[in-house]
Amino acid sequence: MIRISCEQYLEYLEIAAEAIRQQKDYITELDAAIADGDHWLNVTIGLDKVLAQREELSASRDFTEFFKKLAMAVMPAMGGTSGALYGSAYLSAAKALAGSIQMDAEQVAVMLKSWAEAIMARGNAKPGDKTMVDAIWPAAEGYEAALKEGKTEQEALTAMKELALAGAERTRGMEAAKGRASNQPDKGVGHLDPGAVTMAIQLECLANYLEKYGGRD
Amino acid sequence: MKKIMNEAGNIVEEMLKGLELSDPSLVCFPEKRVIARREKASKVGLCTAGGSGHEPAHAGYVGMGMLDAAVAGNIFASPSPDQMLKGIEEANAGKGVLMILKNYTGDLMNFSMAKELAEMEGITVDCVVVKDDVAVPDSTYSAGRRGIAGTVLIHKIAGARAAKGASLKEVKETAQKAIDRIRTMGMSMTACTLPGLEKPGFTLGEEEIEIGMGIHGEPGIEKTGMKTSKELAEILLGKILADYDYNGSEAAMLVNGLGGTPLMELYVLAGDAAKVLKEKGITLSRVYVGNYMTSLDMAGCSISLLKLDEELKELLDAPANTPGFKTFG
Repeated sequence: MIRISCEQYLEYLEIAAEAIRQQKDYITELDAAIADGDHWLNVTIGLDKVLAQREELSASRDFTEFFKKLAMAVMPAMGGTSGALYGSAYLSAAKALAGSIQMDAEQVAVMLKSWAEAIMARGNAKPGDKTMVDAIWPAAEGYEAALKEGKTEQEALTAMKELALAGAERTRGMEAAKGRASNQPDKGVGHLDPGAVTMAIQLECLANYLEKYGGRD
Repeated sequence: MKKIMNEAGNIVEEMLKGLELSDPSLVCFPEKRVIARREKASKVGLCTAGGSGHEPAHAGYVGMGMLDAAVAGNIFASPSPDQMLKGIEEANAGKGVLMILKNYTGDLMNFSMAKELAEMEGITVDCVVVKDDVAVPDSTYSAGRRGIAGTVLIHKIAGARAAKGASLKEVKETAQKAIDRIRTMGMSMTACTLPGLEKPGFTLGEEEIEIGMGIHGEPGIEKTGMKTSKELAEILLGKILADYDYNGSEAAMLVNGLGGTPLMELYVLAGDAAKVLKEKGITLSRVYVGNYMTSLDMAGCSISLLKLDEELKELLDAPANTPGFKTFG
């Protein structure tokens, strides 16, 4: 049974930050190939600064307060397009999860869906534009669909991470319609979108975390 | 990579505090990474926001006759809405604030949120977006043209117009007129290394240059062998003149260094560029040479060309006293 508290969410975020930290050269090179090479640096510095406020963040009544605080922490810490998009995602999840102290499997679906919708609205992007949407959107859709079809929570989590990773991989063939890669004559075709890759890493870590610890009290 | 720094995560705050030390008329708000004028002038406020790594842009253009506040993001990344709000608040003297942005997705996205926050506080905010980089097609199917070194002259022109007591609407119109008449083209000889990363994200060969590379090392339009200054002047100005009609007009030129190119080379290029323009019948009445909008330690340059009229000429010459740009009227 999936259940996750605000405290546990921070545990997951720490694992995700470490997983991204490990991919320094890989992510930096992806970004340098089609844009400005700062993505890994700013995401890593951003998550470090957010996690340094762990005590204050975990002292939240519910996910509404928690995600609101997380949004306000991540925007200035990460900065750039990513900061605004993750900030918008967390603000939207704060609203969608009104008053939840824990998230269960359905509420994780609500969270993912609210992230995807907020990121698409703020970035004026849609699936296929070669952005982080290409990781979060299929993952959110697939996870929700798996639950609705009566699949096990385990199967839904597997769908979440596999669809996120496959979605990030698909950005390789896409022409960028948003962001700096859209200015390249070849629209970045042949290169992965770094924002989709870091989003997929986070979703993979989230699914793994929920598999392993999601039922813990 | 050798750099004078401590923690990469603190480099922006430390840089801003150093700037504050160097100019007593400026005040730094390190938590929000804002530099503002210590004394507010009773006029339309001018604010700008953008990633760091382009010094003296943008905090170095805060001061008399130019900007009232500048908001610094992480290296090459936009500042956040709450930071921009602080900049807008500091620039506001009750007559509205004009935000001068460069055309990047993150800057525009964060500003749209900051504008909502400022309006909730009753501050009137408007913006202009500089998109002067002719290396990039101006297309609605992409993020569009990037804003680069030409932005500095927009700061100067808008700043002078606001200092003369113009309304928010008038300052915006003049800034937009200047934006419409300015074009920039750049080239790079080396990649830059971000503080916190050990090596550049890409490399250019010993004898290789890249035409049209962005000020964050974004890929340009072509890689080619090293050229003479004369050839570079022809290539860069060729792109600019093909994009906008400067025929028979008076122009201001900004020859900008990207941080790793000696001034000596920029002056050589300025001379060659002046010759090219003279042959084309363009009168060069103002020339600026220096490191105005850099890209960390990148070697390379850009040339910006602004088509002048009487108003723009007068505004460029109006007094300004900022760390990065001084004119004495």
